[in-house]
Amino acid sequence: MTREPILTGTNVSKHFGALKALDDVHFELYGGEILGIIGPNGAGKTTLLSVINGTLPITRGRIFLKGKEITGLRPFRIAERGVSRTFQIVKPFPGMTALENVAIGALFGREREKKMSRAMEKAAETIGKVALKGKENILVEKLNVSERKRLELARALTQDPEILLLDEVMAGLTLREIEDIMALIQEVNRGGMTIMVIEHVMKAIMGISNRIIVLHHGQKIAEGTPDEISENRQVIAAYLGERYSKKLEETSHAGD
Amino acid sequence: MLFQAILNGILFGAVYVCIGMGFSLVWGVMNIINLAHGSFIMLGAYITYTLFTYLKIDPFLTLPISMLALYFIGYASQKYLLNYIIRASIFITLTFTFGLQILIANVALLIWSADFKSAAPGYSGEGIVLGGLVLPYIRCAIFIVALILTYLFYLLMARTKTGKAINATALNLEGAKTVGVDVAEIYARTMGISAALGGAAGALISPIMTINPFIGGHLVGKAFVVAILGGLGGTMGSFAGGMALGLAEQVGSLFFSSGYQEAIGFIVLVLVLIFRPQGIVGKRFY
Amino acid sequence: MIKLQNRTYKIILLIALLVCILFPSIASGFWIRLLTSIFLYAILAQGLNIIAGFTGYAAFGNMIFFGLGAYTVGILMVKAGISFFPSLIAAAAVGIIVAILIGLPLLRLKGHYFALASLGAAEAVRQIMDNLIGLCGGAMGLTLPQMAGKPAQVNLYFYYLIFSLLLISFAATYAISKNRLGYALKAIKANEEAADAMGINTTLYKIVAWAISGLFTAMAGAIHAYWFTFIEPATVFDVMIVVKLFVILLLGGAGTVMGPLYGAFIFEGISEIVWSRFLNLHMGILGILVILIVFFIPNGLIDMVRRGFRLKTILDTIREEKV
Repeated sequence: MTREPILTGTNVSKHFGALKALDDVHFELYGGEILGIIGPNGAGKTTLLSVINGTLPITRGRIFLKGKEITGLRPFRIAERGVSRTFQIVKPFPGMTALENVAIGALFGREREKKMSRAMEKAAETIGKVALKGKENILVEKLNVSERKRLELARALTQDPEILLLDEVMAGLTLREIEDIMALIQEVNRGGMTIMVIEHVMKAIMGISNRIIVLHHGQKIAEGTPDEISENRQVIAAYLGERYSKKLEETSHAGD
Repeated sequence: MLFQAILNGILFGAVYVCIGMGFSLVWGVMNIINLAHGSFIMLGAYITYTLFTYLKIDPFLTLPISMLALYFIGYASQKYLLNYIIRASIFITLTFTFGLQILIANVALLIWSADFKSAAPGYSGEGIVLGGLVLPYIRCAIFIVALILTYLFYLLMARTKTGKAINATALNLEGAKTVGVDVAEIYARTMGISAALGGAAGALISPIMTINPFIGGHLVGKAFVVAILGGLGGTMGSFAGGMALGLAEQVGSLFFSSGYQEAIGFIVLVLVLIFRPQGIVGKRFY
Repeated sequence: MIKLQNRTYKIILLIALLVCILFPSIASGFWIRLLTSIFLYAILAQGLNIIAGFTGYAAFGNMIFFGLGAYTVGILMVKAGISFFPSLIAAAAVGIIVAILIGLPLLRLKGHYFALASLGAAEAVRQIMDNLIGLCGGAMGLTLPQMAGKPAQVNLYFYYLIFSLLLISFAATYAISKNRLGYALKAIKANEEAADAMGINTTLYKIVAWAISGLFTAMAGAIHAYWFTFIEPATVFDVMIVVKLFVILLLGGAGTVMGPLYGAFIFEGISEIVWSRFLNLHMGILGILVILIVFFIPNGLIDMVRRGFRLKTILDTIREEKV
C-alpha cells in the first residue's frame, strides 16, 4: 500500500435544497486498498460515490484523483481516467444481451477497446468471472436480480479501472454468491485494483476491507480498521441507538 | 397602444388558458403529450357551432354540452385505447396521439366538410369603450367564463375525491396503487376532464375564430407553449402560461412584424425549455 | 415462424439489389417514380432512425434538414448559378453543420421536451423561410432549373441517384450498428446515465448521430429539390412527413438497419392504394393504421416476424405496456 492517496475528497458536501446529504466529508483512498463505507440508510454513502464519479454535481468541496482535480467533471471523463462504478439500483442496458452490456464496459472507459471482437472477448472473460457463463446471449431484461447485480459488476470490471466503486453489490445475493463475490473482489484487488465499497452485509464488508469509513447523516463519524470500527461507540450508537450503546458501555465497564 | 395591447393580451390570454389547461393536466399526470387535444377543442367548437346554427342557442349556453360530450370522448379514448400503451416509449405515445388527431380530423371533415365556419352571435362585433380602451363583449364574456372554469377546475382538483386521487396518482403512481386507487379509472377520468376543458375551449373560440377540421395542429401548438411556459399540471401554472402567451403575442406584435411572430415564439419556447424547463410558476401541481 | 438463416438472408438481399438495379429497364415511368419515392422515404426514415431509433431522441423536427438541404440546392442553383453536384455537397455540409448548431443546445433536453423543441426549431426555420421572399421566393416557393433530357432519361437519372444515396445511407447505418458508435448510441438510448458513467461521451455521440442523420436527410432534400424542380417551405418542412417517418419506423422496426426500407415499402404501398381509392378518407385511414400499429406491432414487423405471429406475443406486448 502506497502512502500517497490516489483519491482525495476535501470538504465534500452535497445539498439537496435544505437537505444535507453530505456534510463536509474528508476522505482519502490509498492505492491498492479496499476501503469500506458503511452507515445507516440515508447516511449519504451512495451520494458520496455519485459525487466522486460525477453523476451528481458536488455542492461544495473538491475531489482529486492522483493529485489532479476532478471536481465537476462529467462522469465519462472520470471513467476515462480509470474510475468505474456500479449502481445500487442496477442500471443495465435493456434491449441488449448480457454480453453486449458488458462489452460496452470494455469499449469505453480507461481501456477503450477499439476492436469489437476484442471487446467481446474481454466481456466473455469477465462474464465467466461473475458466474454468468452461459447467459451471454440472454437479454438483460430476462435476468433475475442476482444475475443483474453480477452483470453490473462485470460491466464495471471489464473496464479494468484503477479505482472501482461498488455500491451494495451484494444486496440480493445468496450466501454462497456473496462469498464468491467477496473472493472475486479480493482477487482483483490483489491484481492491483483499488476498491471503495459500500455494503450493508457486515460480514462481507468487515471481512474484505482494509479500512472502514462510517457515515451518518452525511457526516463522517468514524474511520479506522474493521476492529476499531466495530468497537467504536459512536458507530454503535448510529446503528443501534444511544440507549443500546450506553448499555454496552455500562456492561463493559461493569466487567472491569 | 400599449395598454390596448396589454388588455388584448389578457383577454386573449384567457382563451389560451382554456386551451392549455386540459393539455397540461394530462401531460403532468400521465406524461402523455396528447396531440389529439387540438382535435378535442375542434370538436367542442363544432358541437357549439352545430347547436348555434341549427338550434340558434347562444355559444356560451351550449358550453356545458360541449364539455359533457368531450368528457365521454376523452374518457373512452383513455380507458379503451391509451391505457393500453401508456407505458410505451414517447415515440409510440406521440405517434399514437397524432394518429388519433388526424383520425378525429378526418371524421370531422366527413361530418362538417372543410368549409370555414364560425358561430358568431349577434353581439359579436360590439363592445364598450372605457377610457380609450376597447372592450369587446365577446372577449370579456370569454374572459369571465375562463376565470370561472379555472376556478372550478381548481376546486375539482383540490377539493373533490377524484381530484385528490388524480393528484396522488400523479405524484406517486405506485403509492397510489398501493392505497387502492384504481389508476386505470383515474387516468380515464383525467383524460375525460382534459377533453372536457378542451371542449369548453372549443366552445369559447367558436365565436371568435373561424374553425375547420384541421385547426387541431395549430391549437395543440399553442397548448404546448402554455404548458411549457406555465409549468405542467397545475391550475396556477396553466393560468400563468396562458396569460404569458397572450401578453407576449399581443405586445410582441407591436414590435415585430406578424410574419416572424411564430418564429420568435418558437425560439423563446426553446430557450425556456433549455433554461427554465419547469416554467414560470415552477411547481408541479397544486 | 420464419427464421431466415444469415446466408439465406444475404442471398435474398443480393437478389433484391440486382432487381432494383435492373428494374428501370423493365418498368414503366409510373413504377420507376413510385420506387424512387419509396427509396426517398426510406432514406429519410433511416436518417430519423439513427437519432431516434438508435439513440432514442425522437427528433420531430428532422425535416429541418430536408428543407435546408432543399433550399441550399435551390438557392445555389437559382441565385448563384452553381451546378447540381457542388450544390449537393454544400447541402450535405449544411446538414451536418445545422445538426451540430441545434444539437448543442437541444440535445440536452430529454424525451418529449427534445421532440417538441426540435419541432419548434423546424417550425421557426419554416416561418423564416416563408418570409425570405427576395432570397428564395418565400412562401410562394422557388422553382429550380430543369434537368436537360427526355422525361424517361430524367426519371432514370433520379432513380439511380436516389438509389445510390439509399445504398450509401444504409451501408453507413449497417456499419454504425456493428461498431463502437452504434453501441454507444444504443447504450445512450438504453440508459443515458449509465452510459455516461461507463465512459461514453454522451454529448459528443448524440451530436455525431444527429449530424449523420442531418447529412443524409439534407442530401435527400437536395435531390428532392432538383427532382421536383419546385420547393416551398410548407412542403419541405412539413411535419406530417416526419409523422409518416415515425410510422414507417414503427412498421419496419426502429433501431434496426433494414426496418426503414421495409416500412417504407409497406407504407407507400398502402398509401398508393388508399390514395387512389379513398382519397377522402386517407387521413383517417392513416390515423387508424397508426393506432393499429402502435397497438399490435410496436416493435415493428421485423421483430414480429422474428418472434412469430402468434396472438400470445401480441397480447404479451400489450400487457407489458398497460397501465
